[in-house]
Amino acid sequence: MPILEVNNLTKIYESGMIIRRYIEAVKNVSFSIEEGEIVSLVGESGSGKTTTANIILRFLKPTSGEVIVDGRDIWKDINTFEDLKEYRKKVHAVFQDPFSSYNSFYPVDRVLYQALELLGKNPKASESKDLIEESLVSVGLEPKHILGKYPHQLSGGEKQRLMIARCWLIRPKLIIADEPVSMIDASTRGGIIKLFEKLREEEKTSILFITHDMGLAYYISDKILIMYLGEIVEQGTPEEIISNPKHEYTKNLIESIPTLYKKWS
Amino acid sequence: MGNLVLQVENARAYYIVENNYVRAIDDVSISIREGEVVGIVGESGSGKTTLSNVMLVNIKKPLSLIDGKVKLYLNGSIIELNKLPREELQRNIWGKETSIIPQSAMNALMPTKRIKDSILDVMKTHFDEIHENEIIDKAQTRFEEIGVSKDAIFRYPFELSGGMRQRAVIAVATLLNPRFLIADEPTSALDVSTQKMVLKTIQNLREKGIVKSIAFITHDIATVRQIAETLVVMYAGKIVEISSIEEIIREPLHPYTKGLLFSVVTPEPEVKERGIYHIPGTPPNLMYPPPGCRFHPRCEYKLDICEREEPQLKVVNNRKVACFLY
Amino acid sequence: MKGYALRPFLKYVSRKFIFLLVTYFIAITIVFILPRAIPGNPLSTLLRQIFQQGQANPELIRSVHKTLMEEFGLGKPWYEQYIDFITRAFKGDLGTSISSYPKKTLDLIAPVMPWTLILLIPSIITAWIIGNTLGAIAGFKRGSFTDKFTLNFSLIVSQIPYYWLGMLLIFTLSVKLHIFPGQGGYSQGTIPAFTLKFILDMLYHYILPFLSIVISALGGWAIGTRVLVIYELDADYVNFGELLGLKEKTVFSYIFRNSILPQVTGLALSLGGALGGALITEIIFNYPGTGYLLFRALSTLDYPLIQGIFIILIGSVYLANFLVDFVYALIDPRIRLGQSEGS
Repeated sequence: MPILEVNNLTKIYESGMIIRRYIEAVKNVSFSIEEGEIVSLVGESGSGKTTTANIILRFLKPTSGEVIVDGRDIWKDINTFEDLKEYRKKVHAVFQDPFSSYNSFYPVDRVLYQALELLGKNPKASESKDLIEESLVSVGLEPKHILGKYPHQLSGGEKQRLMIARCWLIRPKLIIADEPVSMIDASTRGGIIKLFEKLREEEKTSILFITHDMGLAYYISDKILIMYLGEIVEQGTPEEIISNPKHEYTKNLIESIPTLYKKWS
Repeated sequence: MGNLVLQVENARAYYIVENNYVRAIDDVSISIREGEVVGIVGESGSGKTTLSNVMLVNIKKPLSLIDGKVKLYLNGSIIELNKLPREELQRNIWGKETSIIPQSAMNALMPTKRIKDSILDVMKTHFDEIHENEIIDKAQTRFEEIGVSKDAIFRYPFELSGGMRQRAVIAVATLLNPRFLIADEPTSALDVSTQKMVLKTIQNLREKGIVKSIAFITHDIATVRQIAETLVVMYAGKIVEISSIEEIIREPLHPYTKGLLFSVVTPEPEVKERGIYHIPGTPPNLMYPPPGCRFHPRCEYKLDICEREEPQLKVVNNRKVACFLY
Repeated sequence: MKGYALRPFLKYVSRKFIFLLVTYFIAITIVFILPRAIPGNPLSTLLRQIFQQGQANPELIRSVHKTLMEEFGLGKPWYEQYIDFITRAFKGDLGTSISSYPKKTLDLIAPVMPWTLILLIPSIITAWIIGNTLGAIAGFKRGSFTDKFTLNFSLIVSQIPYYWLGMLLIFTLSVKLHIFPGQGGYSQGTIPAFTLKFILDMLYHYILPFLSIVISALGGWAIGTRVLVIYELDADYVNFGELLGLKEKTVFSYIFRNSILPQVTGLALSLGGALGGALITEIIFNYPGTGYLLFRALSTLDYPLIQGIFIILIGSVYLANFLVDFVYALIDPRIRLGQSEGS
């Protein structure tokens, strides 16, 4: 059974005060993710990839279609607060801007405390302290350099690592990572990418990796979905997509990506 | 090699913040020759944007040019730009002999004026007498050359799409055929498919002889490799390596260059083979840079001398690198 | 992808209209309640006036009082008065004045309105222009002596109570130095007429109240614009323009133009409120405007007159509010033509 199943998802936005516009941000999107699989959703700005992520995260209600996580429809089968908590333990998000996930008035420890509270653990207990240190070590952070610090004292890379430490505490079945490295310097990106790979290896976590960067998608994924104007226009393994793109849009996209080892003709 | 167009000699440019110096550019020399596209690559905080301000001599508080010279070679004479007053630079150099495609070109044009009016304003600073129709004709020709419809100059910037707006900025920046052009991350805010068009446009500027030479500033080696011949690698306010871009990709010398190059991810089989690398640690605070080589705290090839002495750029097999390993 | 329809436009207008009606209703309710919360009897002044000359026969007073109570509906329970008032307010009937019985409220307000408008519109606009220019120059020269001086000056004048400023002006320029008259809208004994002599006399009386309003209002504008300009200094178009060689003067004009856009909204709203007069300024200068009339209405508890002035004031603020949207679209092409981004 796939961990995530998205069936015929559609989201229509209405906007405009004087002249009403209807924008189909997501059009009849269907895909699934198996346990331990990394699937990339690749698209440019306005392709609808973030809207799709927000629907799966239950931040946005779709106009039609269903999202099934671990066998349960997230819009029909989640009714109580307990259900929702259960869902938040199963599906966790890592966002683009690591700064926005923090409250600058509290030490960064708080994001880990919140994770522990979600698990029903007392963050002050000594057992919790061990869990926190363990999670920090697994994302390559030195606990004594991180705990007690405020968000502005950490670099973007460190903040993003800390968000992934949260995943180590919660151990969700599915991570929705929305452009998790696009605001991080190139030379530290690789480290973050490896953390996602490690989670998949050791915890069999499934990851939906949302990105505009075909290079990253090619490197990290088992399957790539190409999204364009709200639709998934093509999907396949990274090799299939890169060496044999079928849709015009994908062809054009791949031709436009600057390559390192070959100069454009 | 072509004639020199612009030369920066031993520049130190510091930001003065509450009596402290942030050493954003520290003893940097760079030469740009006719017909050349020089790539300047570095991450955030490497000083690459400060360097672009130094090359143009756009020195505004809190930035201060502590030391060094900026020379512009013009019809056989040499002008020391750093000695000119700002008014002189504005009237005779900026927009005329040197120009820039700014980092956030999306909002670079005056939002509440039609593009043609912005163009006329620029012309008024450079010439005492202007003929409006002539300028509009010329501008329209340049717009078409660059791939923007000539009617675009009668529009407001926000009426153009992202890619068009970026090219309109390029057209405005090069109206007077400046000898030297800086492109400061001109594509990083754009979608991939528009990026390629804009890169081609910049390439054409040189091929058509609209500009003599270009400094292309970016954090992305894969992008700059499509357009530049020479690459300057900056780290923490210093140049760590200068070489032809082909050679750097074949064999990076400086450990930082190596780290930066190997962390580039493109959809190429070579990348999957070598894996993604990352440099541990974070760049230093330039108010208190580490002694010796500024990269040593993050360097896996560190020698004892690296902590004590500052490496100077030296020639190694026709390439320049600032590292004690060579 | 996109669908267009006209229906939403009508929906927008009708929604805005309903919103206006509801707030109008709330506003006039407050206008109804507040004067009645002031202790006192609105008829006492009128009765005193009526019986000033003749003898006060208690019987006569009682019968006149009774007639008047009926005339103004003051004897009815409050809710009947309220319903009566609301129905008339929506019909546009502002009623009869109590203190100047039997004059219609509107006939009292109409002649003073030009005085108020002549005083306030030029002074509001002048303050706006001077304040914005000062603020823009200060912001543009951020950190300079000009900036520090302007900022401190603006802070001081915007914090000085304007009535105190008015009295200060009267004391120095009128009482001590005898340069300007400190009282009235024109010399006593002259009759308002459209002659050069009268206009000059009027302008002579105009200067002090005008100055007191301009000085006390410009500080606020200057402080606001200074911040807007500083914010704009780092805009991308400013940096790019400078590096293309734009003169400082041109760069300033760009920044000025973009940063005063929000201030236009403020100006429109101030002008909308102008009809209410500058209450205390008019009292201090004994100036024959709406504010002075309101003062008189309040001191005699002339309910219909108070209500009438406020209803006209509310109406003009509404109108200004409504017009601001259109004014803004007129001066900012981004709103007029619609942003092409973000679709």
